[in-house]
Amino acid sequence: MKSIKEMLLETLKNGPEVLTDITACRRNGKDIITEIGRVDKKIAEYHPKMLNLEVSEIIPNGNEAKTFRLTSENGYLPPFLAGQFINLFVETDGVRTSRPYSLSSSPLQRGYYEITVARTADGFVSAYLLDKAKPGDRFEANGPAGHFYINPVFHKKKSVFIAGGSGITPFVSMIRDILESGKNRDIILLYGCRKENTALFYEELKEKVLAHPNFRFELIVSEDESFKGRKGLIDAEIIRETVQTTDAADFYICGPQVMYDFCEKELAALNTDKKRIHREVFGASKSIQTEPGWPSDLTGNEVFKIKIDGKIIPAKSGESVLAALERAGIKAPVCCRSGGCGICRVRLVSGKVFTARGVLKRYADEMFGYIHSCKCFPISDLEILL
Amino acid sequence: MKDYDVIIIGAGNGGLAAAVTLSLRGKSVAVFEKHNLPGGCGTSFRRGRFEFEVALHQLSSMGTSENPGPLRKQFREYGIENQIDWIEIRDLFRVNLPDGRGYTIPADRRKAEQSLSESFPEEKHSIHRYFDTVWRFCEEANAFAEKSAASSGEPPALKKLIMKTLFPKLYPTLAKYGLRSTQDVMDEFFKTKELQLCLSAYWCFMGMPPNRFPFSILAKCTYIYLTDKPFYLRGGSQVMSQALTETIRKNGGDVYLSDGVAEILLKDGAACGVIDEKGREFRCKKIISNISPTMTYTRLLKKNEIPFSARDYLKPYTVGISALTCFFGLDCPPEELGFTNSFTLNYDSLNANEDFLGAYSLLPEHDPIVATCYTVDDPEGSPAGTSVITAGSLKYSAPWEALPPEKYHEMKFKAADIIITRLEKQYPKLREHIEELEIATPLTHMRYLTHPGGAIYGYEQDLKSSVFFFPTESRIPNLEFASGWVNACGFGPNYMYADKVAKRIAEEADVK
Repeated sequence: MKSIKEMLLETLKNGPEVLTDITACRRNGKDIITEIGRVDKKIAEYHPKMLNLEVSEIIPNGNEAKTFRLTSENGYLPPFLAGQFINLFVETDGVRTSRPYSLSSSPLQRGYYEITVARTADGFVSAYLLDKAKPGDRFEANGPAGHFYINPVFHKKKSVFIAGGSGITPFVSMIRDILESGKNRDIILLYGCRKENTALFYEELKEKVLAHPNFRFELIVSEDESFKGRKGLIDAEIIRETVQTTDAADFYICGPQVMYDFCEKELAALNTDKKRIHREVFGASKSIQTEPGWPSDLTGNEVFKIKIDGKIIPAKSGESVLAALERAGIKAPVCCRSGGCGICRVRLVSGKVFTARGVLKRYADEMFGYIHSCKCFPISDLEILL
Repeated sequence: MKDYDVIIIGAGNGGLAAAVTLSLRGKSVAVFEKHNLPGGCGTSFRRGRFEFEVALHQLSSMGTSENPGPLRKQFREYGIENQIDWIEIRDLFRVNLPDGRGYTIPADRRKAEQSLSESFPEEKHSIHRYFDTVWRFCEEANAFAEKSAASSGEPPALKKLIMKTLFPKLYPTLAKYGLRSTQDVMDEFFKTKELQLCLSAYWCFMGMPPNRFPFSILAKCTYIYLTDKPFYLRGGSQVMSQALTETIRKNGGDVYLSDGVAEILLKDGAACGVIDEKGREFRCKKIISNISPTMTYTRLLKKNEIPFSARDYLKPYTVGISALTCFFGLDCPPEELGFTNSFTLNYDSLNANEDFLGAYSLLPEHDPIVATCYTVDDPEGSPAGTSVITAGSLKYSAPWEALPPEKYHEMKFKAADIIITRLEKQYPKLREHIEELEIATPLTHMRYLTHPGGAIYGYEQDLKSSVFFFPTESRIPNLEFASGWVNACGFGPNYMYADKVAKRIAEEADVK
């Protein structure tokens, strides 16, 4: 005898027809084992859990930087948008940490990725890459990720790139993408450097100007009086002169924190629509103590305790909570290291942190005490939950 | 290694609710979640000055604090009702038709009937008859559900025959409408296509066109939203997900984030534990899977462990639809663009069934567009003078999966461009006001949810696979399911279904 459920359903209008459909599907439907591995494979085409990269070539770039050409161990690299970054993991002195690097290579080819690394004053990772890394070395990375790219759906046809120092890297990818694919866009690049010989991709940029009428390039040098070209900082005057009308363009800024602060003021002086100014997050400013709001009684050298997972680890006030975790060998998820993506989010159970600018917390994070560990600095003893 | 009473796979709405219910009953629970955030679909993300809700449009079954609906009661029991600022939504939705006219349906039965009768006076009587039928249908369905919950097992043959004869007499509306498509019922009641579109709008919450969308789901949506009112909450669904997470922890449970389950362990064919992505082993008495049955069997078991009966059982179920969504942060308030309602359904033609077929293609050229302007009902949800809108259409993943990766971003931008151009017919100057724009495709949903097809509502909720036929059963002892894949999808239904499953598991454990 049929089940009671089936018997009752048969009495429904359209019931027998639906029950027949089900019988037919049981005979002819798709077997779930055809799904084995399919979803993971598709996701990995775009967002592999980890990129396994190998340095295939190291190319000097300017006086103080190097470009690292990275190939994939399995031969596949996911697509990215010009302007996006990868977060490269490095193990040095027994500490595993990572740094986000904008891809400087063109997204039009994915045989390799390139990142360009400049020396920074206290650069833990940059020093390692510049001094120790060699062809054949292997690195893990996550990404590509990031939201610093041209969105053709609503960004204007004219792009003004304002770059400072190694902040040129995402723009190089964008410039290559636009010029090499013949996109109908106009680019003005204002590139600020300390000295002419520290300018990255200088020859390539100069060549591109000659070959492409839709690309203009101005190098602005700040620390070399003998430089023949423009000197000083990228200020309102230079912007006005090169861009003319600011309402017909989108502005993209990438460089050190001081440059953002300066250029944003200059653009505001030109009445630039705020939503037309796009800025890449560029890590923390060199010393967190100079951030507005930093408690004046702290030097950045105080050592606090963080209680985590039953352990107590030391944490310097001038270093992020994430850095303290990494120094202690605690593996925490991480990606942009700039406060934006929230992958490194942890729960602050007790204690106080100083939060740097640019942290994009969710409403729920505020409500329930979550912090982005990459941009939060301990200013008391803490307890956190991963 | 830790032992738990119950291990829950996935911190989606169902997983979190199940864990809270069990932890409140003294069971030790652990929730494993791949993502770094709890919530599954119940989450949000930040861009610039904006926070974007990913999934929640209107929370059902809340009711007011004086007259609570079943979900509010559940949250009350959980102790989270008062942690959250609930926002009552004024109207159910607005339907914008190609001739430029729009119809707003107030979230009140009498007002809705009245407003529709004024717009369609020639069908006034049918409108009242329709609402009466919806109410009777739901009341009968509730009564029948209560009755069946009280009985267990198969009745004796004679009783079965009596029940079969009595059923259509005791539950005439249920018998007449319980297994019919929305289009079929709309045609029975209404002549005007416009009116049909106004009343069938909830098809887009299940991703089925009216000619395949079960009327019983439509009736239930209409009934619960009009009875218990649609709600939103300050901070969006991530707040609920987080509140549930903290409640689990407060009750002694563990929620492991960025740590999915890699494998289900079996002993004599029954589930007995899991191995997580970090390679740690955990033992338990029961597993509740909050992910799809398809992925539970095919991803967490070895191929030779997948029971044949499970493969057979799941054959009538097709992986459902995903979505293509644009998230807009705008530098102007909603009224400047003409957004007066939070939830709108925008049609390019009167033939919704035909337009829906666009779901199988890559770009949203003719698909109906669902647009939600959260700022209308939650003006503090974004900075003053701005607004947040999500707009898009339902899409199957196949054409997106077939795309060569190097074409992906270009097609994403193209899709967004089409959506904006189409919306600008109704809301001019939308593009000019965009400050932030993020685009999610079926592949985005696949990435964050790890669902086959990037499905957002589980299996296709058509007549043969939903309502009376959800694939609730597990073919592995000690493994159970609680998710939108095995029940009506949506926040409310998932929380409540998981609560039911968890209560049963807790009771069974107590009996032992």
